Amino acid sequence: MSTSKSPTSTPSQSTSFPFPSIYSFPPFFTRQPNGQTWTSQLSLWNSLILAYCRYNRIWRIDLNTAIEWDLFNNRDINRSLKLETCREILDSMVKKGDAEWVPGSGSHAAKNASAIIYWRRPEEWANIIADWIDSTGQKNAILTLYEIAEGDLSLSQDFRGIDPTILRKALDVLIRRGQAQIMKSADGEEAGVKFFGNQ
Amino acid sequence: MSMRRGVGLAAFDNHERTAQQYSDLGSTILQTHISELTDQLLTFQAALKRFAQSHADEIRSDPVFRSEFVKMCSAIGVDPLASSSANKKGSFWAELLGSDVNDFFFELAVRIIEICRRTRDENGGLMLVDDVKARINSVKGRPPVSQEDIVRAVNTLAPLGHGFGIVRLAHKDFIRSVPQELSRDQAVAIEATQALGYISVEILRDNLGWETARCIAVLDDLVASGLVWVDEQVRPKEYWTPSWIR
Repeated sequence: MSTSKSPTSTPSQSTSFPFPSIYSFPPFFTRQPNGQTWTSQLSLWNSLILAYCRYNRIWRIDLNTAIEWDLFNNRDINRSLKLETCREILDSMVKKGDAEWVPGSGSHAAKNASAIIYWRRPEEWANIIADWIDSTGQKNAILTLYEIAEGDLSLSQDFRGIDPTILRKALDVLIRRGQAQIMKSADGEEAGVKFFGNQ
Repeated sequence: MSMRRGVGLAAFDNHERTAQQYSDLGSTILQTHISELTDQLLTFQAALKRFAQSHADEIRSDPVFRSEFVKMCSAIGVDPLASSSANKKGSFWAELLGSDVNDFFFELAVRIIEICRRTRDENGGLMLVDDVKARINSVKGRPPVSQEDIVRAVNTLAPLGHGFGIVRLAHKDFIRSVPQELSRDQAVAIEATQALGYISVEILRDNLGWETARCIAVLDDLVASGLVWVDEQVRPKEYWTPSWIR
């Protein structure tokens, strides 16, 4: 059997992900033929994928590489999730709003199928960032996306290293709420985001 | 009273009069007994009520005491859980013993129904009492419930027609929360899953002596009913009981 791998992004935890008991149940890796059983299986995979991504701070799943991860391969019981089943699961997560296909990689493409994983929804990220702006006294500051995700002030924050696509969606929420605004430089290029703080 | 046997019609008349007198005497004795019994019963009821009220806390919080109390009630022919239709307070004994016993089992029944409903897709409506107990007792801040408590609570649901019942398989108690009862073959097959967690055509054939067609039929049946999960990454395919998910 192929050795199962950990995702390439550096795990932030020193101990490996504590898999739930369903992970050791051999049929969990077989697409169940019974409709109701499949419904519960989908739900269990959904929760597991979100928990795993949250624990390992994974922002996207690239189907073709992720299928090698220990998440989808339990070496102890010698069971692996099929690519097609994984795709079905991600499709269902997208329908639920827990994930989003990266445009151009859609669920019907044979290659390069990539999905952003919302182990926090954009609205949640928006709230966290707005609170962080307030608590760090950065009201009226103008920050670049890079500064938000990788700056010194966000070192211990949950959104540290956040995927730019997700960050942008969170900022869109804040802009819609009137809590932030895109600032453009003289030549019309986007320079950064100005925060007005919680109102 | 004349006991002299007569002959002919006279004899008949005598017999009837004697019978009537016996009957009258019998009624009198019966009446006396009834009023004595009534007095005794009233005294007894008062004592039982006092007992239940003074031990209400123990009944609620101690599974062993609760079990003994309910057993005592049953031994003297009292069902503390009997209720007329769905009105939980309609029971004579519920009023007598105070609503604590009834409330406890009613609330437990509600929690059981909720757990079964939430897990139905996963287990097809068949769940180990032990697993239900573990879930209920994992909620902190409430006194623990016992296996007996759960079985009793489920049995109060049976007559209400929700399709709830206790099924005993392989020396373990399961709660069935769907109206469909297990067929004989299904029950035997599920019992077989309790040894290793799974069964296959070969396991059924070798251990039960069934023909292949019969094995396939019951396994398809179990899958269709959502009672087993299938593992297709092995040959022969293995059919697992969700009760094995720990």
